[in-house]
Amino acid sequence: MNEIAKKSIELAVSKVLGTGSLSWTSDVNGNCFGWVTLCAPESLLSIAPLLAECGARLMTATAYRNDKFGRMELDGHEIAYHFDLEGVVVTVSVCLPDTPPRVPSITPWFKNADWNEREFAELYGIVLEGHPNPRRLFLDKGLDAAILNRLVPLSTMMNGASTTTLWEKVYAGKQLPEWAKGGSN
Amino acid sequence: MSSTTYTLPIGPLHVALEEPMYFDIQVEGETVRSVELAAGHVHRGMEALAMQRNYFQNVTLVERVCSLCSNSHPATYCMAVENLSGLIVPERAMYLRVIADEVKRIASHLFNVGIMAHLTGFDSLFMHAMEVREIMQDAKEGVYGNRMNLGQCIIGGCRRDIDDSTAPFLLGQLELLKPQLDELYGVFERDPLIRTRTQGIGLLSFEEAKRHAVVGPVARASGVAYDLRRKAPYAAYADLDFKVQTDTKGDVHSRALLRLREAVQSVKIVEQCLRQLPGGPINTREVPVIPPGEAVARSEAPRGEVFYYLRSDGTDTPQRLKWRVPTYMNWEALQVMLASCQVADIALIVNSIDPCISCTER
Repeated sequence: MNEIAKKSIELAVSKVLGTGSLSWTSDVNGNCFGWVTLCAPESLLSIAPLLAECGARLMTATAYRNDKFGRMELDGHEIAYHFDLEGVVVTVSVCLPDTPPRVPSITPWFKNADWNEREFAELYGIVLEGHPNPRRLFLDKGLDAAILNRLVPLSTMMNGASTTTLWEKVYAGKQLPEWAKGGSN
Repeated sequence: MSSTTYTLPIGPLHVALEEPMYFDIQVEGETVRSVELAAGHVHRGMEALAMQRNYFQNVTLVERVCSLCSNSHPATYCMAVENLSGLIVPERAMYLRVIADEVKRIASHLFNVGIMAHLTGFDSLFMHAMEVREIMQDAKEGVYGNRMNLGQCIIGGCRRDIDDSTAPFLLGQLELLKPQLDELYGVFERDPLIRTRTQGIGLLSFEEAKRHAVVGPVARASGVAYDLRRKAPYAAYADLDFKVQTDTKGDVHSRALLRLREAVQSVKIVEQCLRQLPGGPINTREVPVIPPGEAVARSEAPRGEVFYYLRSDGTDTPQRLKWRVPTYMNWEALQVMLASCQVADIALIVNSIDPCISCTER
């Protein structure tokens, strides 16, 4: 079963990128993982219909920055699309060279790409082309766009999410120190 | 919107479970005409947190993604780390991971069918199902010291062994559970109230299940025979004998029965594991070096496929850690399942996908 699925994936990828562009790894249980890299986002439009045709299922898509907090010179985004075909996983990574990054939607072939694409668009400010409903998915419109593009230190994150209730209890009946009043972050 | 329809806001609180999801529903009389979902009420930014914690701290973090699948997350995350670092987990640990996963599966499925009974108004059956589930809760507490988050998985194996005192205790709990589970199945299968309220509603055809890429019991009840424990075996599943449960009816009733049958299979799996448990260490006792690179791991959680993608830049924190839970796709398929249903059935149908909102949003 695995061999047939691997062959179908290889055939689909080779039609777009030629042979030798797909590499395989496996885990201790013999499960196979295929890895493909696309240098141009437009290539997605050629490979997605072929993968859909051989019956692959989109599991999810992961966007990331080459330098996760944008502190170094390394810039740019990539998106890894993870597909499954009968137990074989293939990850198609796409480089997004543009500023702002843009990527075509694969919802015409994979209906469940809808939520996945909206999620990476709101987290990383990636522009979706041809998406049927490109509004935010999870994050409220009051939150900054592309929040994962920058470093939000853990301490800031935690302060933002906590209240002064704890310190009010600790200092019950006494003067609450300035630092415990919050509001400065 | 035409003049014959009106908008019915459902949620965000207490649609089926006490988790928030907002449904904007267009209704014509008592019949649902369209559904819009608004998510994001419990987004916790966990993926941002994961990038700021080291590989070991993340085991603790991901165990807190979901309470009902709380073993599947660290187990799959650890598998991704092990795949990337080339760490070989001892055989005994593989079995211990299966035991923890299946014990959680039984408890999770019983919880879901219990809530279904509650939503049909059959509260005595709800309480009975929760009482049966209590047998597994006690088993978890006795073996792992905790009733929800077991803390069993660590990178390179497991934290706690199952020894001469806990193995007979766990077997004893399973013996208590088996007749109760059979009885419960009979009630859910034959009770006229349950059947009237749940049969033929929330239909999801095989084609729609494929189109929406749904996973887990929702997919299997619609005839998609996909179970990762068989399709892409991990841990010790390749050595274990169990049957993947499927159905073709694709309604609320068939999903509940399928979960109960899976719980019966899980009992069988745990018993086999305890019988075949190999000797040796339960973890590698080694701190692996995580090289730069990427890895993927998957497992079959109670709700379906859990997927982890790990990308390392060679530092002690992940460059990116992404996970996708089964409910993620199953939500969207609700638009099919809720089409033309009655308003009174909405909660039952939503519950039938065993929704997990906090883990969908992370």
